This record gives sequence, C-alpha cells and structure tokens, in this order.
Amino acid sequence: MISQFFILSSKGDPLIYKDFRGDSGGRDVAELFYRKLTGLPGDESPVVMHHDGRHFIHIRHSSLYLVVTTSENVSPFSLLELLSRLATLLGDYCGSLGEGTISRNVALVYELLDEVLDYGYVQTTSTEMLRNFIQTEAVVSKPFSLFDLSSVGLFGAETQQSKVAPSSAASRPVLSSRSDQSQKNEVFLDVVERLSVLIASNGSLLKVDVQGEIRLKSFLPSGSEMRIGLTEEFCVGKSELRGYGPGIRVDEVSFHSSVNLDEFESHRILRLQPPQGELTVMRYQLSDDLPSPLPFRLFPSVQWDRGSGRLQVYLKLRCDLPSKSQALNVRLHLPLPRGVVSLSQELSSPEQKAELAEGALRWDLPRVQGGSQLSGLFQMDVPGPPGPPSHGLSTSAPPLGLGPASLSFELPRHTCSGLQVRFLRLAFRPCGNANPHKWVRHLSHSDAYVIRI
Amino acid sequence: MTDSKYFTTTKKGEIFELKAELNSDKKEKKKEAVKKVIASMTVGKDVSALFPDVVNCMQTDNLELKKLVYLYLMNYAKSQPDMAIMAVNTFVKDCEDPNPLIRALAVRTMGCIRVDKITEYLCEPLRKCLKDEDPYVRKTAAVCVAKLHDINAQLVEDQGFLDTLKDLISDSNPMVVANAVAALSEIAESHPSSNLLDLNPQSINKLLTALNECTEWGQIFILDCLANYTPKDDREAQSICERVTPRLSHANSAVVLSAVKVLMKFMEMLSKDLDYYGTLLKKLAPPLVTLLSAEPELQYVALRNINLIVQKRPEILKHEMKVFFVKYNDPIYVKLEKLDIMIRLASQANIAQVLAELKEYATEVDVDFVRKAVRAIGRCAIKVEQSAERCVSTLLDLIQTKVNYVVQEAIVVIKDIFRKYPNKYESVIATLCENLDSLDEPEARAAMIWIVGEYAERIDNADELLESFLEGFHDESTQVQLQLLTGIVKLFLKKPTETQELVQQVLSLATQDSDNPDLRDRGYIYWRLLSTDPVAAKEVVLAEKPLISEETDLIEPTLLDELICYIGTLASVYHKPPMSGPPLTTSSVQMGAVDLLGGGLDSLIGGTNFVAPPTAAVPASLGAPIGSGLSDLFDLTSGVGTLSGSYVAPKAVWLPAMKAKGLEISGTFTRQVGSISMDLQLTNKALQVMTDFAIQFNRNSFGLAPAAPLQVHAPLSPNQTVEISLPLSTVGSVMKMEPLNNLQVAVKNNIDVFYFSTLYPLHILFVEDGKMDRQMFLATWKDIPNENEAQFQIRDCPLNAEAVSSKLQSSNIFTVAKRNVEGQDMLYQSLKLTNGIWVLAELRIQPGNPSCTVRAPAPTLRPWSLPFVPCQGVVLVEDAVQASLQAWLEPESVRSLKRTFLESFHIHPVRLPR
Repeated sequence: MISQFFILSSKGDPLIYKDFRGDSGGRDVAELFYRKLTGLPGDESPVVMHHDGRHFIHIRHSSLYLVVTTSENVSPFSLLELLSRLATLLGDYCGSLGEGTISRNVALVYELLDEVLDYGYVQTTSTEMLRNFIQTEAVVSKPFSLFDLSSVGLFGAETQQSKVAPSSAASRPVLSSRSDQSQKNEVFLDVVERLSVLIASNGSLLKVDVQGEIRLKSFLPSGSEMRIGLTEEFCVGKSELRGYGPGIRVDEVSFHSSVNLDEFESHRILRLQPPQGELTVMRYQLSDDLPSPLPFRLFPSVQWDRGSGRLQVYLKLRCDLPSKSQALNVRLHLPLPRGVVSLSQELSSPEQKAELAEGALRWDLPRVQGGSQLSGLFQMDVPGPPGPPSHGLSTSAPPLGLGPASLSFELPRHTCSGLQVRFLRLAFRPCGNANPHKWVRHLSHSDAYVIRI
Repeated sequence: MTDSKYFTTTKKGEIFELKAELNSDKKEKKKEAVKKVIASMTVGKDVSALFPDVVNCMQTDNLELKKLVYLYLMNYAKSQPDMAIMAVNTFVKDCEDPNPLIRALAVRTMGCIRVDKITEYLCEPLRKCLKDEDPYVRKTAAVCVAKLHDINAQLVEDQGFLDTLKDLISDSNPMVVANAVAALSEIAESHPSSNLLDLNPQSINKLLTALNECTEWGQIFILDCLANYTPKDDREAQSICERVTPRLSHANSAVVLSAVKVLMKFMEMLSKDLDYYGTLLKKLAPPLVTLLSAEPELQYVALRNINLIVQKRPEILKHEMKVFFVKYNDPIYVKLEKLDIMIRLASQANIAQVLAELKEYATEVDVDFVRKAVRAIGRCAIKVEQSAERCVSTLLDLIQTKVNYVVQEAIVVIKDIFRKYPNKYESVIATLCENLDSLDEPEARAAMIWIVGEYAERIDNADELLESFLEGFHDESTQVQLQLLTGIVKLFLKKPTETQELVQQVLSLATQDSDNPDLRDRGYIYWRLLSTDPVAAKEVVLAEKPLISEETDLIEPTLLDELICYIGTLASVYHKPPMSGPPLTTSSVQMGAVDLLGGGLDSLIGGTNFVAPPTAAVPASLGAPIGSGLSDLFDLTSGVGTLSGSYVAPKAVWLPAMKAKGLEISGTFTRQVGSISMDLQLTNKALQVMTDFAIQFNRNSFGLAPAAPLQVHAPLSPNQTVEISLPLSTVGSVMKMEPLNNLQVAVKNNIDVFYFSTLYPLHILFVEDGKMDRQMFLATWKDIPNENEAQFQIRDCPLNAEAVSSKLQSSNIFTVAKRNVEGQDMLYQSLKLTNGIWVLAELRIQPGNPSCTVRAPAPTLRPWSLPFVPCQGVVLVEDAVQASLQAWLEPESVRSLKRTFLESFHIHPVRLPR
C-alpha cells in the first residue's frame, strides 16, 4: 500500500507532499529520496530504491519527479502504472504537467489525490469517474489561442482542410464543466508508431519491430459515441489474411476496455464512448515482417590507419520511402573512438550539418525526401599509442569504440505497418455549437534504429 | 487569478492577515484564504496556529470549501488532538448529510485523523456508512475499517466491523468488493491465524466474477488475493487459470503481472502432459514480451521478473531471444538485466546469435556494460559446452584490441574457462602472458597468477613471471597475495629445483611480514606441509579441482520457488524474499564461558518474565538460547511432576532449507532421567526425495556425540517432515569450543553434506548425582580464593526459598544447606557437569524483596581448566590443512565455518592437562 506520494521539481524541491497512512517519517523522506537518487552509482537502477524499510518508486515526467513510497511488498507495476496515470490525470486536469501548473493548482492536486488514493489504495484513475467528485477549478496560466503556433505537440494535425491545430489546443484542461461552454468541441486522434530496427554490419536485418498505438484526446462531452474505421485489410496474427491486397498485419493487439468490438471482426470499426481526456484506444505490435521496405539504409565504409591514427568514414544514406513522403529531423549518431579530435567533412547538400559532440559524430539532415540518397565523407584523427605500422589505409578492423550508428527521425503521415484510420465519425449532436473539429494524424518515429558498422 | 501568489515569503503579519480572511463573511474570500493556508502547508510553513479559524469554516454547505478544510484537518489533527475533537461534531453531522459525497468525505477524513480519542466517535457513523445505500460511501467506509483497525484493532473487533466487512465481499458493486478485499487482506496480515479471508471455492467464485466487472486497480487486489489460495485439485486449478488468462491481455501491466503470478503458481499443480499446460505456456510469452516495449522503468521491473520466470520455466521464452537484445538507447540498468537474461536463455540452438551480439556489445563505449558483456561471453562458454571454442576465440579477438579493461575482463573469464575445461585451451596462454604488464586490477592480476601457477610446467619463464609480481608483494591486495602464495607453491612443487629460493621468499613474506590472518595461516599451512611431507603436499596442493558449473549464477531452487510466489511484487525486483534478516553466519554467535555463570544461572533463578541479559542473546535461529531457555525452567517443571524432566526449549530452526538444498532441520535438546537427547525435526522442502541420512558432531567442549546413528526409516519425500530423537552420549572427543556450548554438526543425505552449528543449553549436562556432601561443600567453598568469586543479582524473582530450591532441584541443581541469617535465606547449591566438574553457588533471598543475590566461586569453570583429551599434534595439523584447502574451493558460508576450526587451532594452541 502506498505510504506517501510526492512531486519534486527537477531540483528536488517538494511541490506536492501527501502522506496517506501516517506510518512514515514525514517530509524529510522527500529530501532523503532526492539525495539517494542523486548519489546512486551508475549501474544501479534508480527505479526501485530501498532505504530503511521504505521503498521508493518513481518516474520522471516533464522534468518532474513523481514518487511514491511504500513499506510493504506491493506490486511495483501497479505503482509505476499509477504514477504514469497520475501524470496523465494531472495533465488532464491542470492543462499540462509542469512545475508552474502544479504549484498554481496545489488545492486541485490534493483534491485529486484524495479521490485517487484512499489510505494508499488506488480507487480510480479514470478522468470520467473523477469528474463527479472534483470541485476545484483548474487555474490556467494564459487563455488559449488557436493562433498560438509556437510549437507542434504530439496532438494536433499538421494541416487538414488548411486549418492549423496548435499544440496548446490539446494542452488545456479537459475539465470545463462550469466554465465557458464556448470551448471548442474537439477530438484529436493520433496513430503513432515507434520503429526499432537492428541491422548487422553485413547489411542483414537482425531485428525489426513496430510498437503502435492509437491515442485519442477528446474534449467532447462524455458519453458521445464515436466510430473509428481502420484499414479494412487489417488483420491480427499470422494465419489470418483478408482482402486481396497484401494485408496490413500485426502480431498482437490490445484495446482499451471501453472499446466496443462488435463491428471490428466484420468491418474493422472500433466503437467507443470515450471519457474526456486522453486515452489509448488500441495498442499493437508487429515484429520481423514489415510490409514495406525499411525507411532508411545506410552504407558505411570505414578506412583506418592505425599507424597515423587517421580514420576516414564514408556514409551513404538512402531513403526508401515513397517519393511523395519525406522524413523530418533525421539525425545520425555515430560513436567514435575515444579522444577523436579534428573533423573534416564533405556533405552532399548544403542544409546538412555535421559536428562532433560528446565523443560522437552527429550528422543532422533536416529533411530527407523519399527515394533520395545523401552522403557524407568524414575524416578524423584518433590520437593514442601508435599501433603496428601499416601500409597505407586498411579497411579491416575498425578501431574500438566506432559505431554502431543510430538514426532518429520522424515520418509524418506514414505508418510503417500500413495501418490507417479510414474515418472518424461522431454520433454527437452539437447543441447550438459548431460541428466538432476532428484532427487525425499519422506519425512514425524511430525508437532505436541501429546499424552496426 | 493564480495560486502562485500564495508562495510569496512569509511576512510578519501573514498569519494575522489569513486569520482575518478566514473569518470573513464572504465565501469566496474564505475559500481563497484556505487555499493560501494549504499552499503554505505544502511548502512546509507552520500554519497550525490557524487551526480554530479553519475549523470554523467547516460549517458550510459549499463542498469545495469543505473539502479544503478537511484537507487541512488531516494534516494538523495529530499535532493538535484537542482541537480535532472540536471538529468531531461536524464530522458526525456530515455523516448524515443527504449528499453522499459529503458523507463519504466525512468518513474518509475521520479515518485519516489518527487521533486515538476520535475513534470512539467514529464507530456509530462508520456503522451507518458501511450499510449506506450509496456505493461510493460504502467503498469509502470499507477502507475506513482498515484505517480504524490500524489505530485501535481491539475496537474494530469489539464493534463487529470485521463481520460487516466480510459481508461486503458479496456486495453488488465491484468497487466495494475490491476495497473490502483490500481491507480484509491488510487486517488479516496483522492476525495471521485469524480466518478473515476465508478462501473457499464459493468465495473464489465470487471473486472471479467480480474480477470481470471491477476497475483495473480492483482487479489487482483480487488477483493478488487469488494467488494466496491453494486449489484443492488440478481441476480447480485449471478452471481458475482459464478464468484468469484473459487478464493477460490487459493494458495495465500490473494486472498482467498479477495474472502471471497466479498462473505461474497454479501451473505447479497441473500435469505437464495436459494439453492445457502447453497452451498456457504459449499464452504466457506474448504478454511478457509486450512489457518490454513499455517505458524503461517498467521494462526494468519486468526484466527482473522475467529473470526469475526464465530460471523457473525457461521453455516459456526460449524462442524470444531477440527481444532481449540490447538497444543502444536503453538505460544501463536495463541493458545489464537484458544481458543476464540472454545468458540464461542461451542454448546450443541460439548460441551463435548470442555470441555475435555479445561481441558487438564488447566494443561499445560504456565501460560497465562492456565489462559485463565480456563476462557474459565467459558464462556462455561455461554454460554451452559446444560454444566454448568459439567463445575462447572471441575472447582472444577482444584481447587483441589491447583495450585495457577489455583485456583484464577477458583474462578473468578465461581463468574460469580453464577451470571448466581443463587441458583444452592452454594454447592461448602465450597470448595471455603478453598482456601481463597491462593488468592493474586485482581480480585480473589474481586470475593471471592463478593461470601461471596452474600451468607452471608449460610456461618456460613461469618463475620469472611470478617473481616479478613478488617485488611489490606488500602493495598487492589480499586476493593477489593469496593467489601469489598458492601460485608459487604450485610452481615449487612442479619445478622444485630452480624455485626453492622463490618459495622461501614468499613463505616468509606471507608468514612474517603480513598481519593478515588469512594470508599468514595459509602461509603456515604450506610451510608445515612442505617441511613435513612434500609428497603429501603435492597430493594436496596439486589435487584435481572440482569443475565449476554455471549453476553458481543461478538462484537456489528453494529460494527461486519462494521468489516465484512474489512475482509482481517488490521482492521480485530485489530478488530477495521480504523480511529476510541479515544473513546467518556462524561467527556472529558470541557467548563466553562466563555467561554460564552470569546469564545462565541468573536466568535460571529469575522469574518467568525475566529477560535474558544481552550477552546471552543468541539469534534464535541458531539454537536454543541458553539464557531465555533456562529462564523458563520454573514454569514447566513446577507443574509437571516428573522425576527429572528438565526444561525443554521450543524447537528452533538450525539449518534453513535455503542453505541446505531444501533440507530444513530444526531441533532442541532435552534431558530425561539421566539421558540427553537431541530432538530433531527434518523437513524436505526440495522437489526430490531424500535418503541416506547420517549425522556427525565435531569435537566439542563436553564430548557430546551421537549415541546411535541417525535413523530415518523411510525416504523423506518432498514436503514431508519427520521427527527423530537422537540419544547423545558424553564420551566423545573433547575440544574447547568458543563459545563453550557451541556444537558443530554435519548432516549428510543423498544430495550433499551440510554443516551448521548450534548452542546447546548447559542444563542438559547437569547430572542427577550433583548433590555434594555437606562437609565436602564446606571444605571446597573455603578453599576457593575470594578473587575467583562471581557475584550478581537476579531481579524479579518473587519466589521464596523453598520454591526456588524445589524448582532448581528439578533441573538437577541441588540445595546442600540452608540457613537464615538476619532475616535472609541463604541457600547453598551444587551441581555437577557430565565431565565431573562441580559448580557451587550461594543464593541469598530476602523475603519480600523480589531479588536474590548469587555468589558463585567459579574456579572450576574457567575454559582452560577443561580437561582436554591428549591428541596427536601432527594429526591435527593435517586435518586443518585439508580442511582449509578444501575450504578455498568452496562457497563462502562453508568456508567461514571451517575457518573456525583453523582459528581454534592456531589461536588457542592445545594445552595438555597438567
């Protein structure tokens, strides 16, 4: 059972402190936690820490520490899940999670905590249920503006019907029960896939897997029904195949408990009545067998002269996306041997950038069009004890510490599994207000895209 | 309007300002003021002075304001209990409020105010709320019972709340059921014997039904509760498994893991031939794999659990090797855990793949990770024999990189590979020797020296190599010094002619210039061995070493089984069962012979509520503690009219199952009509049948020895317990032990030999003819010089002289004479030990004064006056050498036990009786 919950700022100052059972040493515990965390040796896990009969479990979220303590042998999974739910909840209720919003809404946070946890037992974490009990209104920093284009967050489509959904539209409190009813009725639906790839040095594909989720953030009144239509060729498991096409196949799929699957078997339609706030409608994963080619291939060649310490790396990056698509914010990260000093470079196009940072080569490519091919030639000096004299440049045995190369990127409007949302229909009848806005976005991004050298 | 202004620094009049605002007429202003107070409270300011003002705001119909006030109350009620009573009336009133939110709020807050005085007011409202029509109130009240129980357990039982709580398990609302289960589980924990959560097929069925309806958090309570249930047969186990399996695809990882725990536990009951068993195995893999795509924190916790599952049932994940491949952006703690699991899953089928991965990891940047990766290659070689050759060549490749820490790590693992596959890969020694100079870590140096010493005959310049290490002998760490000593002795035995000087040098360095007892002892042993009998030395030092196996990395089966029960709990992250105390070490027992007189007699005469003095406190698990044991003498013997039935301590665990591959031994000592026996209880907690039991005692202070072999008639099957009474004699060989009543026991069965040590209560050694003749008593008493007397007081002994006398007599402590001096009773006592030593004592009892004084001349009981049986010095030396040599090859626990043999030999030289 949970003894205490507290939120610390990134500097370790307590923002929220709540003791549920009165069995613990008081507020000093928060300080103790921070000291223990910062003094932890590198290879020890900070996730679960133990001190004097008390266990600390924490997550970091938006540079805040959310910590629970317990003195009993409870499930660490439930504590971690609870913490991430709390992070979502606090975001839902306070607008977004951050030091400022938390300290502006102390009373609200305590009220939420009292309803979520009683005597250290989790009661509920559903935004919907909690709405019945919460009295305090959120205090928000600034009014929302649809024209606030400062940043594009996870929610909000890039462009659709030439309209722009700014990030802050998605980061406002869902709790608008008594405040102005003029708030827009909006629904955000994201299909987000994370791609993990491991390519051996000989170019063979060792591992590929895709973790996908469909996330929904709804500002509609609760109980309004919606239907989400997925690609009809979508199938689950290895045996099943539908339609005539190659099929969009995933290995595993799980749905949120509020999703009604009556029409899923026949028409691949998910029906649900989402509560206000964020919700993961569906999670799926797919491994080993990707329907489309990998987005990137890297062809490295390394020349290494141990005698002179000269290291030459030639990297050729090919983007195998369809020519209409593009990858954004592509960054290649290549760890280099210790002590590399100088870097000279020849890049294939001017908007690219390459530099040495923290013992690694960083090659930034802001935008890569599908079907294009880019290259870079890098020369470095590796100081160190001179090895056996060699005859000119050799291609064998690269020095230790070089590689593996890893790529990070975003692929807007692209899903690696091929899964698409066909439609999002709302049964909701607006009462006098304009039609609800629906934002649907597809995005793939890299999780760990590693190419060994 | 934002709350940020509440965080401005305290000014002088802030409290007064707040006070005024709190007493304002305007509701909004009050609300803002309470919010300010709460904000101050959060940042640690003391706002307790405002207590009465805040409590005044409680009487309001505004729910938001009320909640804020309640929040304040919870925080300060404990420091201001008298004030809290002021609020009670409002609480009671609120519990009757038409609004269920207010009723629930009141009952929730009242329970959180941990003030004892408030509890009596809480009962009536709580009783009503437990039967409230609104489920929100009922579920809050259910938790409140647990809160109240924590403050005043007796009250909860007297008021019959527990029965009401049990009824709530059948409530129509799943939230109420979940909270009732949680509350009952918690209360049941503090009453282990009570049958609060009576799990039977009917109640299980109710829980399984509620499982489908309640929230995810409620599902966790229920699943954890199910895991404590033992199905009556495999059919029931299967049907529960079938109903739990759907939880495996839940989005909440805690639900998944709790379900996994239930399934892992109940699977034990299913027959492996069953089709269902295979189906279940297949169903377990995907949810576990899915957990690995979560955030790193969850991944880590999942990996720690998977590590256990993989050891218990490797078949579940044997095809999933790839998911444990390390990602470059994993945090280091995730990487290390994955590495460990990869090794556990490594088999002939996938070893090539694993090795290729490990080799990649060994070239990464992170030093810690690289080291672990190199080590992992070594573990692969030891685990999968077919891969050994490939592993060795991989390691050689890594040595060629000349990266310092990689080389050192590789040498350490190659040493282990030599141990596992002797005479197979020695061709690589030359390459290793090239790197001798670059080794700067003790472990690597020690490994290299071991290799040189072990293969001295194949290395031409072995003597030069070892000599080069010898130069800085004193600066080396103990590990290296010990290895160097052994290495040079090995070299000498292999090439005696050229290395005589070298061995002399190292022996003198070790024995004369070192103050490390380990090193010195080992040096002396070698020295004597070499000078007495070089042939025997060769046999001992160059004996064939037992092979190492990868089992050393595994968690012991009994511990593993225990940990499997804790899957999905914090214990599974630490890989330690909850509440495990400090490790048991035999050396932690400290009890001198003096305690026999001090603690022993003291407590012997003390009242039953006497607390053993700290010196006599012995970890209970190590044997019947002498002090507290004797203190109970009075109680047991006074009622029972047996002739000489002396006190028997309850059985204590002497050998925990964890330390003895599943064999648990507990026992105690008894003395009945002149015969001593050791009452043993053997329990088989392993999965295999145990047979061929035998027992042996080490020499001990009083020559205790088994008078008959240990007879276990039938083989001991798993989970079976057998009780044996082993008669003891006192004619065995004698050696002074430290503490005096220490007994070291070896028990053998078909699996292994186990060692433990225990302390026996000395009163089992008091013989029946211990009554000394009066004249002789007087003469002896006079002869004892005063300085040998010990004197101490026994408090809280409310008995009169007769009672004391008769109680002591039943334990063979006899009253020789009694007289009355100045209103005090003087008792003169005598007792005789089995080895003929007499102990005399004088007791002075003042009627009405609950303490009595003991004066005991103690010349006869000094440790060195114990008669030792003359023994052959040579024999002892050899025994000790053998014991120590074996000890180096064996795990730490056994080693420390055996070291006590050695120390008793070296530090307390045997004295022959005058």
